[in-house]
Amino acid sequence: MSSSRRRIRVSWRSAAFVALVLAASLAAARPAACETTLLNVSYDPTRELYQDYNLAFAKYWKQKTGEDVTIQQSHGGSGKQARSVIDGLEADVVTLALAYDVDVLYQKGNLIPKNWQSQFANNSAPYTSTIVFLVRAGNPKAIRDWDDLVKPGVSVITPNPKTSGGARWNYLAAWAWARRRYGNDDAAREFLTKLYGNTPVLDSGARGSTTTFVERGIGDVLLAWENEAFLASKELGDGKLEIVVPSVSILAEPSVAVVEKVAQRHGTATVAREYLQYLYSPEGQEIAARHYYRPRSPEVAAKYASQFPKLDLVTIDGEFGGWEKAQTTHFADGALFDQMYAPGK
Amino acid sequence: MKRFPWWLPGLALVFSLSADAQAAPEPASDASRVQELEERVRILERKLEIQEEDTTAKKKEAAVVTASDKGFALSSADKNFELRLRGVLQADGRFGFDDDDGTFNDKFLLRRVRPIIEGTLYKNYGFRITPDFGNGSAVVQDAYVEANFLPEVKLRAGKFKGPVGLERLQSATDIRFVERGFPTNLVPNRDVGLQVSGDLFGNTLAYAVGVFNGASDGGSNDEDISDSKDFEGRVFATPLRNHFGPFQNLGFGFASTYGDTNGSGDLGKYKTPGQQTFFSYRSSSTPTAANTTVADGPRYRLAPQANWYYRQFGLLGEYVLSSQKVRLDAASKTLGNQAWQIAGSWILTGEENSYKGVTPSSPFSIANGTWGAWELTARYGQLTVDEDAFPIFADPDKSASEADSWGLGLNWYLNRNVRLEANYEQTYFDGGRKDGTDRDDEQAFLTRLQLGW
Repeated sequence: MSSSRRRIRVSWRSAAFVALVLAASLAAARPAACETTLLNVSYDPTRELYQDYNLAFAKYWKQKTGEDVTIQQSHGGSGKQARSVIDGLEADVVTLALAYDVDVLYQKGNLIPKNWQSQFANNSAPYTSTIVFLVRAGNPKAIRDWDDLVKPGVSVITPNPKTSGGARWNYLAAWAWARRRYGNDDAAREFLTKLYGNTPVLDSGARGSTTTFVERGIGDVLLAWENEAFLASKELGDGKLEIVVPSVSILAEPSVAVVEKVAQRHGTATVAREYLQYLYSPEGQEIAARHYYRPRSPEVAAKYASQFPKLDLVTIDGEFGGWEKAQTTHFADGALFDQMYAPGK
Repeated sequence: MKRFPWWLPGLALVFSLSADAQAAPEPASDASRVQELEERVRILERKLEIQEEDTTAKKKEAAVVTASDKGFALSSADKNFELRLRGVLQADGRFGFDDDDGTFNDKFLLRRVRPIIEGTLYKNYGFRITPDFGNGSAVVQDAYVEANFLPEVKLRAGKFKGPVGLERLQSATDIRFVERGFPTNLVPNRDVGLQVSGDLFGNTLAYAVGVFNGASDGGSNDEDISDSKDFEGRVFATPLRNHFGPFQNLGFGFASTYGDTNGSGDLGKYKTPGQQTFFSYRSSSTPTAANTTVADGPRYRLAPQANWYYRQFGLLGEYVLSSQKVRLDAASKTLGNQAWQIAGSWILTGEENSYKGVTPSSPFSIANGTWGAWELTARYGQLTVDEDAFPIFADPDKSASEADSWGLGLNWYLNRNVRLEANYEQTYFDGGRKDGTDRDDEQAFLTRLQLGW
């Protein structure tokens, strides 16, 4: 067989190989996206907020870029949601109840950069909230402050701090008050033990606790996110529930982040960043305020000042040395909460 | 006159007030107890609700372990990841009658011992690894990965059956006879390569095209001794698949291979249903150009094929022409060997017949008095060697030029996974004996106990 014939034979075989691989590659090629979808994994009580916010952002994005964007939402206890993202839930962005739950995406999942908090203003917390009490109309159990929660016969509703970010804010607010009132941590621990002794049901998230208190009619007082308390009062109708502002509460800073590893893979990094950045815009801050979240913008805060009661607020950093320390001391497995609360006790 | 005690009304008043005081708390205590009980019931109901929500959420994430007639499987809740463990075990008994020249050794053997490990990753990517420890050896029968982009386009790479023979492509647990028929002698078994396949037009047309190292007639291949590759392709139509009626499961198709093989002495051997070799090309334990027939150029195969299943009845037929240019020393020739068979089966117990096996409507159970499914089978086949093969390329004293075979069989399906089989196969030969006469007929009684899942 001549070498020229052999060269020709090799050549058409090679062409056949290339054609086969090209055909497979074309079959596998993803079509260019004409609509972007984002998944926002959020904590429990933000359903109504993001329902309105997502519409506003989609309109803004369409006007700015001509592109359509659809935002899908997932809601649940903040800690549970963080774990779901680490376990593979394909979140493009997270909007969780506290910085610690966002930080675990770096610590345990390597899904976000170490310096995620500096990506957006105010340590990536576009709005704040706090913890208040929600009681029945007429406040029949005369609940005025934290010490009323441990009176015999008072039933307290609060979610499980192991799963809910809001529950951790509740717990720390109570601890801060007790430490100030009684002077030391041992007394604070005793106070919290009595408080959880008055807690018949622990829901996994803040919205679940609201359901327990408002819809199931269980409990005398709900320890609630401020926005949740306002929403529940408004939905149930005037006069059915009352908000009681305790003497001390905590500055809760729900945090947001782009899940960079997922967003890069999805090709949604740019729109994801814009989505979170828009929370800081005047429209974003207005929407937050309308849903009873305390806006960061001074102008919007001034506009809604009468809506939000003035409180003596402690901070996580000032009172507890930061989230890392608070989590290890109070909420890690075997830590103080596990020691003081046993179901059925 | 006795004076009315002045203190009596006062005492009466005191008693009356005391009685009132004791009676008054009763209604308040009952009401608050009822309220307390109602609260407790609400709390319990809410706890149950939360527990159910948690259980439902966990179920969505929990891995699922299953054990069934389809094997054992471990999969993620969303089925995107799955590991399946299946297997085949075939224990055979083979016995020859009137075996005067002693060519048929009566024996028991383990024909196939195959653990099958399959899995799915990210929903669209699959793999299979099938080692085989039967016949006293250890080989890897299948080892491939598959990307299922669309039902119309699937990409497979590795070692697997080439898309050629109809009965060869039928699973070893679903064939109706202990051994496949003559046409399977002429088509490749497993080979290493790359294939694109899919189902089109509402699953009425299946296609597969691939490029492989190139396996000999009836043979398997793990590597290649030349740059040449074999192209293999098949189309198979079941045009009335989506219409109810007697011809819903009528299928017909065509397969072909083309390659160019040079220098390989592995040209295949042809076997009877009893697995006795009745034809082979000239070869030697110390091969030289003068004593070993080798491949010397183009090889192609043409294989029209069809099957039909209607209620209890099943029919399978195929024809294969295998053409190969061969050389021994200075002599060279293109030889065309042919084989065909027609095989029928009838499920005596009324179950539905199909290419993919039989499922008894009532598994065998002494306690329940049920007997599984019973099937009667029959076939006729022929393999003809090109007369130009003799005497240069094949020794007429050792190799027959033609074999004709008929067989009858009875299959007992105890359940979907366990089957007992018994075949009687009689094969006649042209030539194959030193004095130029015909080799003795093979009269083989073949039995099998099969476990497949």
